[in-house]
Amino acid sequence: MAIEDAPLDDKAKRMRDLLSSFYAPDPSVAGGSLPKGASLDAINTDSFDADQYMNLLVQRANLEGLLQKHVEMAAEIKNLDTDLQMLVYENYNKFISATDAIKRMKSNIVGMEANMEQLLDKIMSVQSRSDGVNNSLFGKREHIEKLHRTRNLLRKVQFIYDLPARLGKCIKAEAYADAVRFYTGAMPIFKAYGESSFQDCKRASEEAVMTITKNLQGKLFSDSESIQTRAEAAVLLKQLDFPVDGLKVRLFEKLEQSLGGLQVKIGDVADALEESNDEQENDLQLGFAVAHDASVHEFVETVRAYRVIFPDSESQLIKLSEDLITKHFLITEQHMKKRVSTATFLRVLRIIWDDVLLIDHVLPEALLHDYCFKVSQSAIKQYVSSMFSHLLDDVSGAMMKVHPQQNNVAEEQLQVALEAGKNSLLKGSMDLLLGFRQLLEDNLDLLVKLRELITDWVQAGFQQFFEALDTRFLLLSGRIKSSPQDQSLSEGLQSEKISSGLVLVLAQLCVFVEQTAIPRITEARTEIAASFSSSGARGYEHGLVFHPTEISRVFQSASEKFLHQYINMRTHRISVLLRKRFTTPNWIKHKEPREVHMFVDLFLQELEAVGSEVKQILSQGVRKHRRSESNGSTTSSLSNSLRDDKLRRSNTQRARSQLLETHLAKLFKQKVEIFTKVEFTRESVVTTIIKLGLKSLQEFVRLQTLNRSGFQQIQLDIQFLRTPLKELAEDEAAIDFLLDEVIVGASDRCLDPTPLEPPILDKLIHAKTAETKEQNSSVASPTSQ
Amino acid sequence: MQAGSSGVGYGLKYQARCISDVKADTDHTSFLAGTLSLREENEVHLIRLSADGTELICEGLFSHPNEIWDLRSCPFDQRIFTTVYSTGESYGAAVWQIPELYGQLNSPQLERVALLDAHVSKIKCVLWWPSGRNDKLVSIDEENLFLWSLDSSKKAAQVQSKESAGTMHYLSGGAWDPHDVNSIAATCESSVQFWDLRTMTKTSSIDVSHVRTIDYDTKKDHILVTAEDETGIHIWDLRKTKVPIRELPGHTHWTWAVACNPEYDGLILSGGTDSAVNLWLAPTGSRDEITSDSGQNSLSLKVDPLVNSYTDYEDSVYGLAWSSREPWIFASLSYDGRVVVESVKPYLSRK
Repeated sequence: MAIEDAPLDDKAKRMRDLLSSFYAPDPSVAGGSLPKGASLDAINTDSFDADQYMNLLVQRANLEGLLQKHVEMAAEIKNLDTDLQMLVYENYNKFISATDAIKRMKSNIVGMEANMEQLLDKIMSVQSRSDGVNNSLFGKREHIEKLHRTRNLLRKVQFIYDLPARLGKCIKAEAYADAVRFYTGAMPIFKAYGESSFQDCKRASEEAVMTITKNLQGKLFSDSESIQTRAEAAVLLKQLDFPVDGLKVRLFEKLEQSLGGLQVKIGDVADALEESNDEQENDLQLGFAVAHDASVHEFVETVRAYRVIFPDSESQLIKLSEDLITKHFLITEQHMKKRVSTATFLRVLRIIWDDVLLIDHVLPEALLHDYCFKVSQSAIKQYVSSMFSHLLDDVSGAMMKVHPQQNNVAEEQLQVALEAGKNSLLKGSMDLLLGFRQLLEDNLDLLVKLRELITDWVQAGFQQFFEALDTRFLLLSGRIKSSPQDQSLSEGLQSEKISSGLVLVLAQLCVFVEQTAIPRITEARTEIAASFSSSGARGYEHGLVFHPTEISRVFQSASEKFLHQYINMRTHRISVLLRKRFTTPNWIKHKEPREVHMFVDLFLQELEAVGSEVKQILSQGVRKHRRSESNGSTTSSLSNSLRDDKLRRSNTQRARSQLLETHLAKLFKQKVEIFTKVEFTRESVVTTIIKLGLKSLQEFVRLQTLNRSGFQQIQLDIQFLRTPLKELAEDEAAIDFLLDEVIVGASDRCLDPTPLEPPILDKLIHAKTAETKEQNSSVASPTSQ
Repeated sequence: MQAGSSGVGYGLKYQARCISDVKADTDHTSFLAGTLSLREENEVHLIRLSADGTELICEGLFSHPNEIWDLRSCPFDQRIFTTVYSTGESYGAAVWQIPELYGQLNSPQLERVALLDAHVSKIKCVLWWPSGRNDKLVSIDEENLFLWSLDSSKKAAQVQSKESAGTMHYLSGGAWDPHDVNSIAATCESSVQFWDLRTMTKTSSIDVSHVRTIDYDTKKDHILVTAEDETGIHIWDLRKTKVPIRELPGHTHWTWAVACNPEYDGLILSGGTDSAVNLWLAPTGSRDEITSDSGQNSLSLKVDPLVNSYTDYEDSVYGLAWSSREPWIFASLSYDGRVVVESVKPYLSRK
């Protein structure tokens, strides 16, 4: 049935939809093929079965219901009929009206073509008329235009002829801007016809313009004019094609000149700070500060004006102001070559910083802040290092004083030098720290920003200072050859030999550095560092840290080195003495000993000199008999059994028995350690020198071959030495042992080792002692008076 | 210290100063040592290190007429050696041959090959031609330098040339340059002099005072090591003699003897009067190193050149000799007549 519905036209379909929507109580139930029982009522659906509907209706409804249904249905059918009729009528109506319209159109189209052609003709004739009018008017219009142009030209000529006069008027009225405008307006004409028709005119106006330029220049350079007018003048001049650059340069020069004045003044300030004493200091400074401020203000004003006048001149100005700052710092650095107190340095820094701030105000593009930081970094760094180098010079200066008189050891001289060295070192470094503290605590912007860096520099400075000090000490002691830059320092040293006293002072000073100075500096430093967050970690990366332990170690080893050098120098002198004593005579043909040989006196003299030097510098040690560290040892060379036999054989001889006693005694003595570690005490140093001297004596004896008299001479000398040496030295056992060793060595090298008879020995020694006493008293008496 | 355990000891009867490596003995590591006793009969000991290196065996004991101040073994004949001796008043030098009596320790007499009898003043040392078979000998006394030609078959030595060192110089020792056989270094009080043997003239000198011993580096040309009384050990480059290229601290007291190792570069042995033998490692290396060594800062930064200190001696050590057969072995002789042979092998690994 649905397929059969398809050919139905749209209208009918719409109608039916309308109806079905009307009748269907539930459209969803009505649509589609539904079970018959359910759709029995749906008349409007395709699947409506009329018979079934009837049957159902008859079966279910009573009569009354049926009747009612019948009535309803009849009414519905009637309604539908009327609807249908109405629709048909309307359709018909419309069709008739359409037919009428077509008919009317047909009749109207006829005759339109003729009208159209008529219209075209008319338009053609209108056009030809208008062309005619145009042609007739063309000639006149041309003429009018020409006339108009001539009039304009005439007006311009008039203007140009009037120009000089007008310019003159403008000059009088100082309306330069108008004048320039007029002149620049006339310029093209002058350019075109200036050489011919308007020659006079051009000349006149040029003269006027010259005056204008002059006036403008005057304005530009006069400081009394307002900046605005000056700027305008500059603009006008530029418009006049006047070489502004030249002006710029001239103005710039002026600026530079004022800058020069400023610098000189800065120098004055620094000088003044330098020279002024405490009382006048404040006044003077104030005066100079005021003067300086004034000149800086002037400079700043000029810069401002210049900027306004020449707007594109920043780079030059930046350069100029940077120059100013650089020169400031240069002057400061020059002053740093002399000694500058921290306060002064701070003051100078402050002045510079004020200037920077002022200029920065006028010229923010210059970023003078940053520039100043950069430059000041190096200046402050240099300042820090100069402080350290001054300190270094102080300390070494104190040492150099030892130098001039060297051998005649003036009493107390070494001590004085040592004290001076200690003082200058400790006080100097404390002052230094104080100064740096001042630097760090100052609230100047510049310094606050650089604070961390300064801390680093100070740390590194100390490190380098101590390293340099070590090197300088080495240089002073002659342990290392001087490098070229220290030539001046070393020249003084090379001429004379380095005094042993100096070396001793250096040794003690090193101990002082290690034990006192470094801990104190470290302490003070931590105190200062604690007040700021020290940049330790960063410093480490750069290796810019003060390592007290490392420095301590360096100085400890240096002090030992110096002490050894001292001992070496002294023993060398003794060695020379002994060498002369033992290599000169012919020992195999030695004469009977008559007296103690004079080398003994010299030997004792040397030791005395050592004693006096040592006394001044080193502290008294506790007498010790403990020998902990030893570098070497020696026992009797008589452990040889054969010799013992031999000695036993010769035992009968009374004279030889004495020798045997020495030998045997040695056998039972403990192994004596000779070369012990040197300590920083008088006794230790003196003892070491005596030991080394005696050992050398032994070695010299071993190289000789002696006859009996030679042996006896040595025996006598050694016997004499025994008492004074034991008095000097702290280690009696070792001295005894060494003296015995000399005698043993001599007896070994003797063809006939018969010792002197004790009485003779005693007699000779007594004689010598008496003589020495006499000499001493005779020497002492004149000096004591 | 630790060194005491490793050394092999041997006792001479008397005091002694000189020991020499028997270079010509290629089968054994042997040394010759001579005693220095003024009043006893002196002996020359031929000592051999046992194959396992644990024992020193006396291979020969020969009586020598006088105390021996210098002894040098012949580099090409193990049986020949020279001595410089003293009779107390006079000095003499001779070339000796060990008789064919090996194994019998009955103090046989040495055969004297030649007497170097042209000297008039105190003889200091006799030097053999540095290497190989050559009949040339140099002897140095206080004032003169003699060049000898030895004819062992005729048992005689002829003076070939002689030159005086000059009146102001007292020569004290010397060494033959192993790299230039015409050059001899002789020590005197204030300098080391270099002599050309062809012309017998002094060619140059180094100003250094009181040199006890000098030794050429056998491996490296131009390197000379000096031991001085007080100032320790200096290493010189003979091409620039103004300053030493290296300084070693030496000993607590005098540095007496010094010996360069014949095989290992920069290994130096020194003996001192502080009864110790020090082993140094001081390679002279390249140019750069030399300049940095003479620089100032390197002083503290340098590695300690002292490798080991052998301190187990009772008296001053005057004699030192490296074995040329086993160059890691050295013999030292202290004044009390004790020979100690040590091996430096444990320290070589450090190189």
